[in-house]
This record gives sequence, structure tokens and C-alpha cells, in this order.
Amino acid sequence: MWKYLVKRFLLMFPTLLGVALLTFVLIRVIPGDVVELRYAGDRGAVSQDVLEKERARFGLDQPLWRQFTTWVIGVARLDFGESMWTGSPIWQEIRLRFALSLQVAIMATVVAVVLAIPLGVVAALKQDSWIDYSVRIFSIAGLATPSFWLGIVFILLLLVVFHWLPPMIYTPFWVDPWENLKQLIWPALAVGYRYSAVATRMTRSAMLEVLREDYIRTARAKGLWEKLILSRHALKNAMLPVLTVIALEFAFLIGGLVVTEQVFNLNGLGMLFVEAVGHRDYTLTQALVMLVAFVFIFVNFLVDLAYAWLDPRIRFR
Amino acid sequence: MAIGRPAEAAAEIPETTGRRGWLAVVVEFCRKRPLGAIGAAVVVVNILVGIGANVIAPYDPLATDYGAMLARPSATHWLGTDAFGRDVLARIIYGSRTAMLVGFACAFLGATIGAVIGVASAYFAGKVDLLVQRVMDIFLAFPLIILALAVVSILGTGIGNVIVAIAIPMIPRAALVTRSSALAIREMPYVDAARAAGFRHRRIIMRHMLPNVMAPYLIMLTAYLGQAILAEASLTFLGLGVSEPTPAWGLMLRGAAVQFAEAAPWMAIFPGLAISLAVFAFNLFGDSLRDALDPRLRAQ
Repeated sequence: MWKYLVKRFLLMFPTLLGVALLTFVLIRVIPGDVVELRYAGDRGAVSQDVLEKERARFGLDQPLWRQFTTWVIGVARLDFGESMWTGSPIWQEIRLRFALSLQVAIMATVVAVVLAIPLGVVAALKQDSWIDYSVRIFSIAGLATPSFWLGIVFILLLLVVFHWLPPMIYTPFWVDPWENLKQLIWPALAVGYRYSAVATRMTRSAMLEVLREDYIRTARAKGLWEKLILSRHALKNAMLPVLTVIALEFAFLIGGLVVTEQVFNLNGLGMLFVEAVGHRDYTLTQALVMLVAFVFIFVNFLVDLAYAWLDPRIRFR
Repeated sequence: MAIGRPAEAAAEIPETTGRRGWLAVVVEFCRKRPLGAIGAAVVVVNILVGIGANVIAPYDPLATDYGAMLARPSATHWLGTDAFGRDVLARIIYGSRTAMLVGFACAFLGATIGAVIGVASAYFAGKVDLLVQRVMDIFLAFPLIILALAVVSILGTGIGNVIVAIAIPMIPRAALVTRSSALAIREMPYVDAARAAGFRHRRIIMRHMLPNVMAPYLIMLTAYLGQAILAEASLTFLGLGVSEPTPAWGLMLRGAAVQFAEAAPWMAIFPGLAISLAVFAFNLFGDSLRDALDPRLRAQ
């Protein structure tokens, strides 16, 4: 198993390097650069000389391969440099935004798990009953409803029914937990619905598959208590694929909530992405892509790790 | 009797392969999977509405009427009007055209290119396979939004560019799925036979292997249809997708719809319902199709 894990771990690096190269090229193909944009207001008033000097300050006058290697070496030492737009260190730019995105992702995961596992299990146990059909329709509807639109509907309902709007200014959890939750619970619910739909469907189909296994029949034949069969034998074995989709959705949520963030006026990583590309802030964009890609790749690695740990067929290979 | 049997059997064959057989399959599908049939019906209606938008729509979707700005739903404007006095129903009907176009184009492009890459990767195996898998991993890890931002910043907004931006991230996912199906097909005797007969790689991949991954391909295609419509709505809402004056559902939710949400909730509610209903129908149909095509599920 160790050989497998080491190989799996090392495979993360070529992928990350590929992501780095792709980002590096893509962001530079977009017309315009940060220097041009900054002086766009007083074009003409600024001489070409000044522009060139500014570019040299950011190292943009260097050959591309040198820019790339300098950056990658920096990343390898966890030094992402400074934002080209604001001039402050990247870590400082990202820290608060990341905390916000992480919190929404965690809350949405809680919403999803709390909804998905009971619903999925009940639907599988009562296959083809009206309960099953309702759960399936509820979850297909969850996949079909755009989270950002659900967010708009939430805001509308709160406004019409309670004449109340969730706070639009972010309060960190450690400053005022209550105020913070009042704001973040709505996006978490809006996103969590879709998220729970994915997980419910996976729970249902995994349970259906497991319930047909021989060892469940054996357990029943032994006269084992039905609740024990479900919790110890069925659910435990059905959880692996469910864990996978939950983990992958979680990884996606970290950087993928751009639209929902916009609706709720949240300054998360998603909005930072849009700003960074808009400013052609190469260093910040690159750092963000690397961060989001790393979370995705690392979560994937953890999922494989969990499989190796929980599935003896892999553990003893 | 023994002589009669083969003739009877032969007489039955045209029924299952001819045109009636095709109809019978549809009837069978509707009978066995009513939910899927409802989904398919809504999809068909949606497509017809999209095609016949100029005939069905009660108003010109672009015609502004400053006398009827933010009008409530009424007999003249069934779903009300927006901030420019444009009829919401007419814009939803025309938006269906954009949504269907983007949905089908993205799903087709994404699933097809992905399937070809996946099958080729499985066929060549070895180093090629390893390399293709790594490249796919890179695209999987790459955030969709950054890709969309880049495509739009480089090529500009417009339906064609949106289709490209949405289809690209679908390719690696489709490739992964088809690759795993194709791995089994590669070991089939007829692939060996084709290779022994000296056929070129391209012919073996396109003619012998691709047709045999049809089931996962169709399942992906239907799943991607709904996803593409959702992605288009999100990108458009952000201003990275379809742009004015093209009527699109995501566009209808943008700006004024949120600003005037309290005074004119119909502006925000109905386009969202249109998106949900369209994607819901595609998913309903896709799910039933998957149940019908996936042998593991069929056996149950």
C-alpha cells in the first residue's frame, strides 16, 4: 500500500506544474497588462518610458521562460510574491477571502450531509414507493435549480415575509458569530441544496447496490437486527462513493462560487478571481489558480487515501 | 411445427428492427418510465418553443414600451414586463432558443471530443494513455471560471465563445468516463481482428470502438445538456456569457431583476423557473435513459 500511496502522492506534482504552465500562458494571452490598465485613465499623459519602467519593476520585461521559472521557484518555496495591483503580499490578499469561502463551503457541506444521507437511505430502502419518487424529484430539482437564483429567491422571501435583509457586510466568525451566521447561512443553504442533491442521489444508488450484496442477505438470514444491518453493514459500505462526491463538491465550492458570492455580496475567492483577471494582476491570478487547483488535487488525493484505508482490497495490494 | 418455427421467428425480426420497432421502443420507454417520458416531453416542447419563438412569442423580445415599465403580470403581459417595458414571456420564449442552442452544442462538443480522446487513450494504452491522463488531470483541476474569463477576455462575449468556454471543461470528464468503458472494449476479439486485418488506428477507433461506447456517451450527453444550460445562465449572469440584445435567461436575471426584486419579483422569478424547468426535464429524461441503458441498473 505504501508504494501505491507514494506514487499517488508524487503524481500530484506534475499535475500542479501543468496547471501552473497553463495559467501562466492563459493569463498572458489575454490582451492588456496590469501596467497598461493602471494608466488607462490618463493614457497619453504617461510616456512609453514610464510604462516600460513599471513593467521592468514587475519583471515583465524578462523573457517568458525566465518569468515562469522565477515564479515556479517562488511557489515551490511557498512565496507567491506581491499583488501587482495593490502591492501587498498575496497571502494578505487571499487570507480573509479564503476564510470566507472555506466557511461557506463547510456550512454548505453540513447542510448537504444532514439532508442527503437520511433522504438517500430512506429512498433506497423504500425503492419505487412514493417516498422514493418524492426524494428523487426533490433531488433532481436540486440539480436543476441555479444556486444563484435560489439565493435571489431567498433574499426576496426574507424581504417580503420578514421585511428583513441578511447583513450585506461581512463579519468574521471570531468577531461576532451570530452576525456572521445570519449572513452566511443563506448562501450556504442556496448552495447546499444543489450539493445535497448530488449527495442524495449517490447515497441512494450506493445503498441500492449494497443492499443487494450477499453479505446483507447473510446478515438478514442470521436474524440480525435490521437497524444493525443498515448501520454496520450497509451504510458503512455505501459511504465510500458518497464520501467521494462530497469531497469533490467541497473542493469545487472553495473557488467556484463566483455567482452566488455576487448575489449575496460576499467577498470570497470567487469574486477575487474576477477582480484579479480584470486587473490583469498576474501574480494574484496565478496564486489563486494554484490554490484552487491544489485544494482540488489534494482532496482527490485524500479521497484515494480514504479508499486505500477503508477498502481492504486496496489496502493489502 | 418444427419447420414452422424458423419462419415465425424470421417474421418477427423486421418488427424489432424496422420503423415500427423504433416506435415500439419509444412506447415501451414511456410505459416503463413515465417520469422520463414527462421529461422528454418537456424537452421536446422546449425545443419547439425555441425553434418557433418568432411565431409563438406574443411580443418582440426587444421592443421597449416605456408606458408599461415593470408592469405586473396581466392579460396583456402574462408574466409582466421588465424595467424597459419588454415582455417577460416573450423574452423567456426567445431565451429558450439560446439555452437550447448552447445546451446542445456544448453537450455534443464536450461529450464527443471527450469520447474520442478517451477511446483513443484506452486504445493506444501505455505512454500515450499516461500522458493523456495527466493532461486531462490538469484540465480537471483548472477552475472553470478562470477558463471562461480567459476565453471571454480573449475572444469576447457571444454565443460561440460561451459554447467553447463551457465545452472545454466537459471534455476531460467525458474522456475519463469513456476511457474506462473503452478499456474493456479494447480487449474484445473484434478489436484484435481489426488490428490483425491491418486496419489503421483511426479506423479501428472510429468504426470499431467508438460505436461500442454509445451507452455511456448518450448518458453523458443528456447529463451535460442540463449542466451546460446552468453554466450558460451563470456565466451570462456574471456578464461573461451571452450579451445584450440576445435574449437569454441568465441575462434576464442580471442587473435590474435583482435591483427591482421587491417591486417586480416576476422579473427575477420567471426566468429562474424557466432555467430550472428546462434543466429538470433534461435530468429527468437523462436519468431514465441511464436506467434503461446501463446494464447494471437494468438487471435489477
